[in-house]
Parts: sequence; C-alpha cells; structure tokens
Amino acid sequence: MTEGWLALIQQAFGLLFSLDPEVWSIISVSFSVSFAALLITLVPSLIIGFILAFSHFRGHWIAINLVQTLQSVPTVVIGLLVYLLLTRNGAFGDLHWLFTQKGMIVGQMMICAPVLVAMSHAAFTSVDRRAWETCRTLGASWLGAVWVICRELRVPLLMAVIAAFSRIVTEVGCSMMVGGNIAEVTRNIPTAIALETSKGDFAQAIALGLVLLILSLILNFMLGALRGAAQPRSH
Amino acid sequence: MCRLIASDIEMRFGERQLFTAEHLCFSQNDVIYLSGDNGSGKTTLMKLLAGLLRPTRGAIVAEGFAKASWWRKDSLLGKALYLHQHPYLFEGNVSYNLQLVQRYSRLSEAEQRQRMTSAIELAKLDNLLKANASTLSGGERQRLALARVWLLKPSLLMLDEPISNMDQVSQQLVCQMIGELKHQHTGLLISSHQDSELIQLCNERWQIKSQRITTTQLYSGTQAELNRHHVAAD
Repeated sequence: MTEGWLALIQQAFGLLFSLDPEVWSIISVSFSVSFAALLITLVPSLIIGFILAFSHFRGHWIAINLVQTLQSVPTVVIGLLVYLLLTRNGAFGDLHWLFTQKGMIVGQMMICAPVLVAMSHAAFTSVDRRAWETCRTLGASWLGAVWVICRELRVPLLMAVIAAFSRIVTEVGCSMMVGGNIAEVTRNIPTAIALETSKGDFAQAIALGLVLLILSLILNFMLGALRGAAQPRSH
Repeated sequence: MCRLIASDIEMRFGERQLFTAEHLCFSQNDVIYLSGDNGSGKTTLMKLLAGLLRPTRGAIVAEGFAKASWWRKDSLLGKALYLHQHPYLFEGNVSYNLQLVQRYSRLSEAEQRQRMTSAIELAKLDNLLKANASTLSGGERQRLALARVWLLKPSLLMLDEPISNMDQVSQQLVCQMIGELKHQHTGLLISSHQDSELIQLCNERWQIKSQRITTTQLYSGTQAELNRHHVAAD
C-alpha cells in the first residue's frame, strides 16, 4: 500500500520536473485566468472597500451586509449565474465567452470581488483616524494620503489579496460550468484534479495538488515574513 | 503675512453645543495659549483651524498663503499644521518618517537638506534614525513628530498638549524647538494643562469657558507674574 503511494508521488514529481506539457498547460491556464481575474478586480474592489469604510450614504449598512453575504455564495451558484448570462440566449450571449478563458475570468472576478471588498473594508475601518489626519495636515493630497494609508495597512490588504487568490485558484464549480474543462483551453488545476481522479489517474491529480500545496506554502510564508516585519503599535 | 480668520463660528455635535466664537485671528508671529477644561473643545477648535473638521456655522478664511495647485481643492488643509497630543507615527523607522514628510515640502532642495539636518540635531534623533518608530518612548515620539513638522517650515502650527506626560529632558528639547519656531516667525497655538515655560512664550490667550471662546492679550513677564495674570483673567 505504502509502496503504491510512494510510486504515485514519484510519478507526480516526475510529471512536474519532466515539464510534462499537459500538466504545465493546466498550470498555465489556472494561473493566467486567476491572475487576470485578480488584477482586474483588485483596484476597483479596494476603492469600494475604502468608500464603504470612510463614507456614510443611504443604504450603507445594506451594502456592507450584501458584500459580506456574497462572500459565502457557493461557486457553483456564481457559475450558474455566469453560465446563464453567457449562454447563447443569455444577456451577454453575443460575446461568445462561454467555454472560454474570458468567461472563466468573469466568473472568478465575481467570486473574488466580495472577498476583496469585505476584507479591505475591514482593514480600512481598523485604521487609526490620526493616520489620515496626520497625512492631510502635513499637506498630502487626498490620493497621496490614500497611498500612505494603504502602505500602513499593507499586511491586512495583502491578506485580502491572498485570500481572494486562494479562493479563485482552488474553486471548481464555476470553472467547470463556465469553462467546460476543455483540454489546453479551459482546463485548470481544480477541474483537472476532479477529472483525473474520476478517471483513476492519481499521479497527475497528485502532481497538480502539489502545485496548489506549494503555492499555498509560498503565499503563507510571504505573509508570515511581512507580518514579522510589521511591529505592533504602542499607540 | 499668513493668517486664519474665523468669523462667527459655532461647533455642535448633535444637540450639544461645544463652543461659539465671534472673531478669532491666528497669524504668523502670534503665540497663543489655548486653555479650557477637559472636553471644552480645545482639540476640536484646533482641528477646525487645520481644516480637518468643518464648523457647524460660520466660516474660517485663510489669507496670505501660496495658492494651491489647480488640481487641489483650495481648503484649509496643510495651511495651519496640527500636531496631535499623541502623535501618529508611520510604520517604519525614524528616517522613513522624516523622509515621507519631505515629499510634501514646498521648500527648495538645499533648504530641505538644511532643515533635515537641523531637525535631527534639535530633536536629538541622530542615534535613533534606524530605530523603528513604534519602539520610541513618549518623549521621543513627540520629538520626532515635531521634527517632521519642522521640516515643512510651517507658517502656522497648532500643538495639542505638546509636553504632557514627558520626561524633563524631552520637555526641554521640545520647548527649545518650539522657541526656535517662534524665532522663525511661525504662528503658534499651544494648548496645555501644565504651567510650563511654554506659556511664557505666549503673547495671547484664548480661553474656552461656558461654551464661548474669549481672547486676552498677554504680556511677557516671569512665570509667577503670568500665573497671577491668568488667575485674574479667570
């Protein structure tokens, strides 16, 4: 039994280090789609988080609760919604984005945006009011002050980015429904793991699982290093 | 000459009226002692003059300042600088805190370098430049905050309890820096609970009492004379 496991892990490492084109194509699709979704969503989400934290408008409380609720919507439900929007008869059917990487990016944007907004809102509400007042009284422009505040909050904001990226790079439901798991086009790590496991090809599934595990370790070490550098405040 | 003029202002928080004032003028060369009980609104008045808050009624006008760039709203912000009682220091070392503020300076590069050298020297920060700002003591934090403001060569500066809870050495250094600022014609508005040598620098007193701000001219004299003068004014 143990020998069987060892052989599988050996095969998995073999696939990764021999630069198996199929495995690396899956990794490439996964990362390009998730990075694109994250990059497009990042700045608008941080701006919305900032506005929710520093302004009070009619429906403010509802907006915050809505964003927090959207964080926990299952990815298959978002997949279903995007599918219905992109299908031939859907509102955006003319774009022909169903079963394409663009469609997957749209789906992943909808998954990571609430995470980014909710976590950045929490970060911005935790900032010391004196930080903003100090920047402004010293002569910083509005945008300059926002930049300094973001630097002050770099650890919680980076945590938000990592949480959002982790959620989209590991989600199966939306990618499977909107992407269709087409080899070398829309097959990403989670959908490939699901497929290979159902076929009984565990070596490739383990190889891809190892990539996610290594990614998770790298991200957490980065966050740990950043947290370590930040000193707790005495005031 | 740079000045702020507040006319017929009132500050309220909901139903609670904090204070009213008919006419206040804060100019360069003024050194004003702001007094009032806890919660009377000293900090709020300073924040109003700094442009960080808006009065419920009335207006505050800035005169004599350089015109702001066309893309920036011409507000009170950055005109009269406000220093918190417990200053906020940015995450990073002392050197970073000083360099960050230099970005907002309108002085020439040569003057900026000269101000940096004198700020470090006056605030005795030479040995602390690499120290993380969060590890500084209360006195060192206040000295760094004052050094940051010093870099900008402000026309008007408001100091909220600048020497409260500070050791004797830091008190002396802060008082020395404030004295130097006065010498450079910076207008100063100082709130303080303590009878200190800072009050001796002042030529005017603003007092918040019974929700009204009254102004009194002071005269230079010894601390004892000044205390007697304050008692008489009360």
